[in-house]
Amino acid sequence: MNQFITAVLTSLSSGAIYALMSISLVLVWRSTRVVNFAQAGQAVLTTFIGYEVTVRSGSYWIGLIAAVISGALVGAIIDRFFMRPIFKRVKSGPIVMIAPVVATLGLLGLIQAIIGFIWGFTYVSIEAPVSTDGYNLFGTVVAFSPFNLMVLVAATIAMLLLTLLFQKTNIGLALRASAFSPEIARLSGIKVDAVRTLGWAIAGAAGGLAGMLYVPGSYLHPNAMDVLLVFGFIAAVIGGLDSLFGAVAGAMILGFAINFATSYISYKLVFITAFALLITVLLVKPNGIFSSSKGRKD
Amino acid sequence: MKNTSVRKRGLIFIAIGWALLLIGDRVDELALSQGALVATYALAIASIILLTGYSGQLSLGHSALMAVGAYAAALSTNNLGLSPAIALVVAAFVAGLFGLILGFGVARLSGPYLAGTTLALAVSLPTIANQFAILGGEQGVAFDIGLPPARFGEEFSQYKWFFWICALAALLMIWLISNILASRYGRIFRALRDNPVAASLSGINVGRLKVVAFSLSAGVAGLAGGLLVMLISGVSPSAFPLSLSFSLLTGAVVTGVYNLKGVMLGGLILVAIPEIAESVVSRIGGSEGFTVALPGFLVSALLILAVVFTPNGPGHLLHKKKH
Repeated sequence: MNQFITAVLTSLSSGAIYALMSISLVLVWRSTRVVNFAQAGQAVLTTFIGYEVTVRSGSYWIGLIAAVISGALVGAIIDRFFMRPIFKRVKSGPIVMIAPVVATLGLLGLIQAIIGFIWGFTYVSIEAPVSTDGYNLFGTVVAFSPFNLMVLVAATIAMLLLTLLFQKTNIGLALRASAFSPEIARLSGIKVDAVRTLGWAIAGAAGGLAGMLYVPGSYLHPNAMDVLLVFGFIAAVIGGLDSLFGAVAGAMILGFAINFATSYISYKLVFITAFALLITVLLVKPNGIFSSSKGRKD
Repeated sequence: MKNTSVRKRGLIFIAIGWALLLIGDRVDELALSQGALVATYALAIASIILLTGYSGQLSLGHSALMAVGAYAAALSTNNLGLSPAIALVVAAFVAGLFGLILGFGVARLSGPYLAGTTLALAVSLPTIANQFAILGGEQGVAFDIGLPPARFGEEFSQYKWFFWICALAALLMIWLISNILASRYGRIFRALRDNPVAASLSGINVGRLKVVAFSLSAGVAGLAGGLLVMLISGVSPSAFPLSLSFSLLTGAVVTGVYNLKGVMLGGLILVAIPEIAESVVSRIGGSEGFTVALPGFLVSALLILAVVFTPNGPGHLLHKKKH
């Protein structure tokens, strides 16, 4: 029973982190039709900024705010001064389909190298603001700590805020309209380019938050988020790649699958489970489980 | 008409091979080992060009496909006692089969699925390799092809043997690929890339042909992986980092992603970048992080510059200037 409860709770808290990463990929995909592979680099960069601020100020919370704000800034800057010129420049030729994706890959390498220049390749960690010792449940210590609970709460709050933004505000309406049909949105007077930059900023902020929630349980390193990027991508594919709800649901499915496989069968199964889930979804339902749009497969 | 072009291509490749043979006799050991590496990278880049330039799909995990071939080569030599030459063929076939299975799930879909799935494969490969005893964990598996045959004489060095094998394999495979691309299949691949809808209206089974392209590309990558671990005499997860996939993609984009003629240049660039980085570090010094990160920085910067300024390759740029 304890094992089951622990598995459920850890699934929820790791699923919450995957969900943030997945949301940041989906937000960019919806507005730009590019899977932003540089998101792993952006998240590490902003988490390093959060780390610096945490170390200098002595408070994790100030570091968290710094990471989220710098994540938004980095995302906006990348869209405005990197992606937009590339879309303008590369308009014809056989590479036009892949140029933006290749550009995000180049950016990923560039950001990771710059992080290496500044912070080196040693593993650093951020002290968690609350205890990382497991709770005592019915007399035994389980692998779910107050910090895991905090991750779950923080991610839930972030998702609620995002839902409010998307469903209840004019900005959210503009974001949804631009993602749904850029031409019609433009005709209705929405500044689609600016809205797209905003989407990148929100995605960057979500990535920064994911990084700050991920690192206290792990280590910070230029390549620390590669795995998170992969899990975020898998979650997004499960959810159908363009649905925010799907991204969260996919992340939870992935979190549960990984944690149950590792806790009941073998700790070795993390990547194999994730990979098997990805292939199964692509074989059975390539449009994703929660996607509303059709005709992706051709 | 077609036969003459095939014959012409064959003669060109024989001429290149002859030139390489003469060059190989006249340069020192270091140049030979670097030459072998250039040939291996050129072959790996050719596999990317086959996939990306001709069927329009993007793979971020060619390092993982190379690793599949490399492990297949090493394990079949060590455990089944196959001769190294056959082991390299096995490497190509195992990787091709792996590509076929993976491709059946993913490569037939359009969109970012192949890119993301191959990325997932490349990221998870080191962990998976560490968890299975047969793959030898962090140390990996030794792959020793032995000394060069005695009939070449005492003077014939190991590096020269490596260079011969890599250059010959690369030339043969690239010759084969260029013939495939000049054939009916090449036209079909180009049609897939340029206009999938029109291709499917012309009766081409788009999904199946995409899987074929991915599988072919995986087989070529597997052979390149086998050659690569032959040069470092052992296969381990650290020989195939994610950055290798990015480097190969850079090599392909820099030489023009649908230009098979440029692969040698791409291989040269990939071998030159670490050397350039080393000489920069030895001249201006710098921290450990700077030293480690500089090659990656140069590769990524080159990739971005290539995408922004010559997205269709340097050949295309020259072509445009003429008009």
